Amino acid sequence: MFRLLVLCSISLICSTTVLAQSEGLPRRDDGRPDISGIWQVLSNANWNLEDQPAVQGTVESLGAIGAVTPGKSVIRGGRIPYKPEALAQLTSNYANRRTEDPEAKCFMPGIPRATYIPQPFQIFQTDTDIFMAYQFAGAERTVFMDNHMEAPIDSWMGWSNGHWEGDTLVIEVAGLNPNWLDRTGNYYTSTVKVTERYTLKSPYHMDYEVTIEDPAVYEDPWTFGMTLYKRVEDNARLFEFKCVEFAEEMMYSYLSRENYFRNLGIDISGDDEDE
Amino acid sequence: MKNKILIILGLTLNLVVTNANAHHAFSQEFSVELPVNLKGTVTKVELINPHSWIHIAVVNDQGVEESWMIEGGSPNSLFRQGITKNSIPIGAELEVFGYQARDRTLKAVGRDISFADGTPLFFRGTRLPD
Amino acid sequence: MNRNINRAYIPISYRMATLIMFLLSAVNAAMAQEESWEMPRTSWGDPLIQGYWSNSTMVPLQRPEHLGEQAFYTEQELNDILRAEFDDEYGETQAGTPEDVHYQFDDYLMNRTADNITQNLRTSIIVDPPNGRYPELTAAAKQDLEDFRVWRDKYQWDKAQNRTLSERCLIWDQEGPPILPLGYNSTYQFMQTEDYVVLKLEMIHDVRIIPLDGGDPAENSLPQWLGNSRGYWDGDTLVVKTTGYTGRTNMPGLRRAPMSVDAVVEERFTRVDETTIDYQFTVTDPTVWTQPWSGNYPFNAIDGPMFEYACHEGNYGIVNILSGKRTEELDRMRAAEQ
Repeated sequence: MFRLLVLCSISLICSTTVLAQSEGLPRRDDGRPDISGIWQVLSNANWNLEDQPAVQGTVESLGAIGAVTPGKSVIRGGRIPYKPEALAQLTSNYANRRTEDPEAKCFMPGIPRATYIPQPFQIFQTDTDIFMAYQFAGAERTVFMDNHMEAPIDSWMGWSNGHWEGDTLVIEVAGLNPNWLDRTGNYYTSTVKVTERYTLKSPYHMDYEVTIEDPAVYEDPWTFGMTLYKRVEDNARLFEFKCVEFAEEMMYSYLSRENYFRNLGIDISGDDEDE
Repeated sequence: MKNKILIILGLTLNLVVTNANAHHAFSQEFSVELPVNLKGTVTKVELINPHSWIHIAVVNDQGVEESWMIEGGSPNSLFRQGITKNSIPIGAELEVFGYQARDRTLKAVGRDISFADGTPLFFRGTRLPD
Repeated sequence: MNRNINRAYIPISYRMATLIMFLLSAVNAAMAQEESWEMPRTSWGDPLIQGYWSNSTMVPLQRPEHLGEQAFYTEQELNDILRAEFDDEYGETQAGTPEDVHYQFDDYLMNRTADNITQNLRTSIIVDPPNGRYPELTAAAKQDLEDFRVWRDKYQWDKAQNRTLSERCLIWDQEGPPILPLGYNSTYQFMQTEDYVVLKLEMIHDVRIIPLDGGDPAENSLPQWLGNSRGYWDGDTLVVKTTGYTGRTNMPGLRRAPMSVDAVVEERFTRVDETTIDYQFTVTDPTVWTQPWSGNYPFNAIDGPMFEYACHEGNYGIVNILSGKRTEELDRMRAAEQ
């Protein structure tokens, strides 16, 4: 009897809490949850979507600053179900990650990676479509809330068609260029379909759940989830992170006049500039 | 006479000030001394920016197949007219007149690109030079 | 042969049709206004500027010098100029000449006459100084420009970082602010919420997030390529003030007339009819210019959507340019040894 009483009172408390949570959500005039604002993850997913212990980074001279931070897998089921024939690419990605990670090259990270790159992004809910601006590389995308069409072309940030299912914003993304999912080289190809689910849980945090499907790479669709936190500081804003100039030395220095001729064993130190 | 001057001056200044293609050093990338006439089949289409690239397989004079990349313009205006990623079929036969990359790799800027039957790619209205 | 292209070969008459349409649309569309036009509004009552817009135009930034203070063409004068521009854009270069080393812009509809935009009678975008041209540079800016030219002649091919900002896919000069028309892809997406106006520029997918709190743009700012913008609605006009540039961006046509760290730019956006936003701007930068200068042109409504312009990700060009230069240098070295 006592146990029953306890159970009843617990469930009463729980259900009231749930009620309070959904009633406490900020809403727009049309009744939809207000997900506008600046958001950022605290997850380790950008290093690795799967289990990741702390390890040395690829550039030892950066010391502990360049090291890989630890985190548990965000994937339901723990691991990405790669097809055996798709593993060679993963191995190659990992081996060459210092120079081949699209993030290192300042390429736009695509969806979903743009969400959990450790820099803020901002959601704008307009009268029609939703727009998301990401600080990293100035990436951006429009989420079409009606007039859905199939991606006419492929692009780095894909083609996003969104709709509401109750209080969850569901976005289907296709037409993505091949890209990586994290710094260890998990990847997808241009046949990928990404389905995102944004569910506001309180004025300050959202559940972010993603299902990824790419028959060229994975045996089955797989899903991961993490939390998005609101940047609540009074002066929160996005800044520019136009990182192309930070990648140029790594990407193009082999073609500089100095390096090109040094690599050929030709001494140009005494030469005047000809022109 | 005044109208003529008007036109010429207007033209010159317009080109100098608003010519956005000046950003791309064509003459440094490709060489006027290396003109090429290529016939090949499409293997890959990159409708990308800042320049599109069409990859073609060309059989050279020695009977060896070479893979060439042909540079074109920004495709965004084409997309606005309904051109999509499926608009140039893989395997289509193309004829290209252009200028080869200065570094002599198998790249060229596509001055004139048409299908094998002479029909121009996209919106062109002239024919290949003889 | 079955080709999947949506647009099949379009014969030479397409050009004539475009020319005729182009000349006919000149001016008249801009002049025609609905008598009873009412400003469309967002759901919370701000003037509606949300949508897709183009600032593609044949009007040059600077007025041809011989026109002096003539701010407008007559319709006949404009038609003559447009006809000549049209011929130029569709004109042929000579095979085997250096001018011929390019792809054909009109193949890709990258020529402005293909944009089919409403023309206006202005002789220049710049409206002040009264001669419609850049004001004089300060002595320091002139010296800077001269120093830059010397440096460029020696070092511009040495490495990727020495190439132009647009070749490196960092930023286009015309992104500003002030926003200036480009030769192609002069396309924009304006978005609005109660607290922000967001301007997305096609080139290079840059986003300007403008808080509508009317605050001081210097507050809570860092040096940025596109500066720091703050705006507010003044009646039905959106006023945007921008400061905090990096000092590394340039004005079009003057490869080294930078928007200095002291620059202040004011922009005013006013929707004037169903298809037009009037855009005015003033640049005040005493480090670079001896006086402020102002411009004015319309944004014209276009159909969406906009397509991604990812520049750096596809930048084979900069590799080819540097590689071409290195090959040329090596060839010359080898030739000299013989």
